[in-house]
Amino acid sequence: MGKVVAYLKTPLTINWSLSYSCNFSCSHCYSRGSNISEVTTDEIMRVVDKISAAKIPFINFGGGEPLLIKDLLEITKYAVSKNLNVSMNSNGFLLDKNMAIGLKDAGFATVGISIDSAVPEIHDTFRNMKGSFEKATAALQNLRDAGVKTTMSSVISKINHKDFQSFVTIAEKYDVSQLFLHNFKCTGKGFDNREEFDLSPEEWKEFYIEALAYKNSNKDIDISFDDPVMAHVDGFDRNALVKGSTCGKVSLHIRPNGDITPCGFIDIVIGNIITDDIKDIWNNSEVLGKMRNKTPQGKCTSCASYEECVGGCTARSLALTGDINNPDPHCWV
Amino acid sequence: MKITRNEDIFFRKEAETKKEVDELLQDEEADDKGYITLIDSGTMHQLNYLGGRIWELCDGSRNLFGIVDVLSGEFDVDEEDLKSDIEDFIEELMQRGWLQYG
Ligand code: SF4
Ligand code: SF4
Repeated sequence: MGKVVAYLKTPLTINWSLSYSCNFSCSHCYSRGSNISEVTTDEIMRVVDKISAAKIPFINFGGGEPLLIKDLLEITKYAVSKNLNVSMNSNGFLLDKNMAIGLKDAGFATVGISIDSAVPEIHDTFRNMKGSFEKATAALQNLRDAGVKTTMSSVISKINHKDFQSFVTIAEKYDVSQLFLHNFKCTGKGFDNREEFDLSPEEWKEFYIEALAYKNSNKDIDISFDDPVMAHVDGFDRNALVKGSTCGKVSLHIRPNGDITPCGFIDIVIGNIITDDIKDIWNNSEVLGKMRNKTPQGKCTSCASYEECVGGCTARSLALTGDINNPDPHCWV
Repeated sequence: MKITRNEDIFFRKEAETKKEVDELLQDEEADDKGYITLIDSGTMHQLNYLGGRIWELCDGSRNLFGIVDVLSGEFDVDEEDLKSDIEDFIEELMQRGWLQYG
């Protein structure tokens, strides 16, 4: 692992929450409930300059809901003019035909839409917003019509783990380029609602065995997972360059006030993008150093998958056990 | 035929890492150490040193012979061996869709 980190002198991706404001209040959201100041559009433009100067190629806008940012299109146009590759994740509610054309013109490389159940009523209840399923699928349609490449994100939880193939059906219907099946993160409302929605380790095991077999035998659709614990399942691709959690190893997260955290699910501020040098933080942060060089503990010490899994999701271990080195609580080993 | 990179494959040259590898190469074998990062549908790949040099030269201005010509000046190896290594590498990347003619 040290090898790849020593090799990348700056991150490849910045996950950037420009605002935590949202028109929804989802049951699993990491950012709802956070009250935080926001930097001005002028400052955002200077941050874009910094990111570009550091040769970081990818920006992904998250949030909050990026479509609530009044200067989103302008910011994106500017970032694209600086050769950055810009994408975002949206709940799709505000993404009508005109907005889709605006996103295309601004130069978005991909736009991701979140769908948490293929059953409209279940999606709407989980996201606390009536009509949101219909709007999300309409958004996929509008983006396709406007010629914007799309991705789809679904957070796996009690409401959908037995029915993940229905996400594939939706993804195929709207020509989605990549389907992300995200694991349930226990941060923010995800922490408060974990007992109701998070799977048990046994259920995660069942889900990953089935989902990985499905992925490996259905090459037409590109399905991605971001859960290191999967390394313990037969058929896992062991060629990935980055092992374990990728946050702090290829990516960083920026909060609306410019604070930098290793990822959106880890509440440790390691600097500020307005005042600090990003390369210096990337190469010298003590917290990142610890995340990149974890020490196996408990069952991880004798686990054959440690080299690939590296103790699982660092954010989850920290949120639920208080120590990044502890085995990921989702782990069934 | 001239060889070009597929524009959908993003790549970054890790310039500082290349400097470090170049220094290492002065007195040891370090050709497994690369400095070109590729991203194909969100997955990160790293090319080895020779692969990285070939990748950089596939900018649409050279054919196979042009690439061999440049690299034979840089690597102290038999030209036939070098040519066959380069050919293999280009063929593999063409199969992956990362390189193309034109
Ligand atoms: S998950 Fe996304 S859409 Fe839902 S409340 Fe949070 S920021 Fe809004
Ligand atoms: S025991 Fe540790 S290393 Fe092994 S799969 Fe579980 S979390 Fe990963």
